[in-house]
Amino acid sequence: MATEETAVRSGKTELPLLWVAKPLATAARQFGRSLVRPSTIVYPFERLEDPKFRTEVHVASGKPIGVGAVWDNYRGVHALNLETCISCNLCAFSCPDICIEMVTVPGGDPKHPKKCPQIDYGKCSYCGFCSDACPEGCLTMTTRYELSVTKRSEMVYSPERLYGVYKEKLPMNPIRLERPKNEDSILLDAPLCIGCNACARDCPTNCITMLDIPKAAPKPGEKPAKRIWKEPVVNDSDCVRCGTCISVCPKECLFWGTHP
Amino acid sequence: MSTVTLYSVANGLIVAILTGLYSVLPHAYFGWLVNPDLILVLSVLVFGAILLAASMINTIMLIWYERKLLGRFMDRRGAMHVGYAGLLQNFADGIKLFRKNTYKPRDADGLGFYAAPTAYMVTSVMIFAILPASWGWTAGPLPLSLLLALVVFSFAPLFIFLSAWSQANKYSLIGGMRSAAQMIAYEVPILLAVVAVVIVSGTFDLTTIVTMQTNYWFGIPLFVALIVFVTGMLAEMERIPFDLPEAEAELVEGWNTEYGGMLFAFFMLSDYLRALIGSFLVVLLFLGGWTMPGWVPSSLTALPLAALFWFLLKTYIVFGVFVWVRASLPRVRTDQLLRIGWMRMVPLSLLAIVLAALLVLAKCLPVLGCLPGVGG
Repeated sequence: MATEETAVRSGKTELPLLWVAKPLATAARQFGRSLVRPSTIVYPFERLEDPKFRTEVHVASGKPIGVGAVWDNYRGVHALNLETCISCNLCAFSCPDICIEMVTVPGGDPKHPKKCPQIDYGKCSYCGFCSDACPEGCLTMTTRYELSVTKRSEMVYSPERLYGVYKEKLPMNPIRLERPKNEDSILLDAPLCIGCNACARDCPTNCITMLDIPKAAPKPGEKPAKRIWKEPVVNDSDCVRCGTCISVCPKECLFWGTHP
Repeated sequence: MSTVTLYSVANGLIVAILTGLYSVLPHAYFGWLVNPDLILVLSVLVFGAILLAASMINTIMLIWYERKLLGRFMDRRGAMHVGYAGLLQNFADGIKLFRKNTYKPRDADGLGFYAAPTAYMVTSVMIFAILPASWGWTAGPLPLSLLLALVVFSFAPLFIFLSAWSQANKYSLIGGMRSAAQMIAYEVPILLAVVAVVIVSGTFDLTTIVTMQTNYWFGIPLFVALIVFVTGMLAEMERIPFDLPEAEAELVEGWNTEYGGMLFAFFMLSDYLRALIGSFLVVLLFLGGWTMPGWVPSSLTALPLAALFWFLLKTYIVFGVFVWVRASLPRVRTDQLLRIGWMRMVPLSLLAIVLAALLVLAKCLPVLGCLPGVGG
């Protein structure tokens, strides 16, 4: 019999009766332990993150099991602070799943409507790139992990809904990294610029101003240009490095670089 | 001893209904309604209906009990959402199974496929009419009720094999063959263990056997027979560790692989009915049946259904032991199963018979009575 062979191999000589008695005793011990409270956590009514389970719930070995904490860098539902969102589009740019769409929210001026991210959790992979990219720290991820819905349309979280998550003051994910001080600035390839104002218009922080520049001296034999030349000047302390100006520039004259 | 019997309950119910009808209907129906023959027939029918409903509800509660108990053995909770503590979960499962369609495999034999579950269920329910549950809670005075119960109980392998054969499925066939081999192998030690009880009690009437256990349980002097009987019952019920016929890891679902919906529910219910019957038999033969120990105050024993309650309490404790065994032990192999059956259980049961015969010869029952200075 296999059991006999196993007993011989392990060097133990046990009474055959113990093969029955020992498991029975183990099961009875376990039964006695779990009579008071099994280690099952009755999930919708009890929470794993409830601190009391860290000490109260025991398993058969009698030691506390390592449950309880949802770490604060857990990447759950996003929280969006609508008040500080600058509509920079960076979250939507960085999203690898294209689940972020910038939708208009009330609060902007008529010319420049305020656009804030709307997230489709049916597509989201919780990579956290968006909150990494957010320059204002207004899009962060919380520890909320319950997302089950009954309709697919409910998976799409509007900015207002994300703001609601923000207002619940859940533990926030501190995943957003500090931007390095010596990061590249927006530089201008001045000869290419046509002064079209697109960058200043789309800058979410209004840190680009179009300044008059001295007209280039006309070359001999040419008429002086009639247009008033303006060039963008970026206020580096206000700039959030969103890159919106670079992407809207029609002449590709703005680029990342370091000030000489 | 209370005077409430199952038949008197049925009879009273019928008389009450007929009297109620008589007060509503015109006088011309009086002679037709309040007719002793009609009352007898209807009472017997209601008796059967009550028995059927009671056994079914008991069985479903037994499944709930096993699920909860097994959950605690496994450090979890078992069913807990439908009804209080999951009490209605099995009713919900039953309704689900009832609404399902039943498919017959193309190659299956229709008669065997449909008849076997029904016959299996019917023979299982039939035993409930034979087994007494309390004073008077039986179909009638049967001098050979123990023998009849065991005979009907041992019909099962026939129907299991019939269904396994007619399913035209290799897993079912293997499961059915294993089931037949196992049940036939374990009939022998069970019957021999019962012979020990019969030697001691001198009767096949279960009511008399229980009455004889008023002062001491047969399980104490016949402990070996009790062990053999419980082990054999585990095998007869096809419960872990002897659930080879339904070995899920090897045989899908064993001999009921091809069944779905209500036919599967029939098999499932019958399995638990047989588990309930096994627990009944253990309690009746070895643990004193519905007799109550002396320390129970007479104000409690005088209650109308106290004996029935006591009997069911014992039954559920015995079934709890079966669940305990299920939670502890792994499934044995076929050769181990047959070896345990023929080489351990049969000699043990023969030993039990010899012990019982010696005890009877020495007039030493109860055992404690013949030790000097102990008992009376």
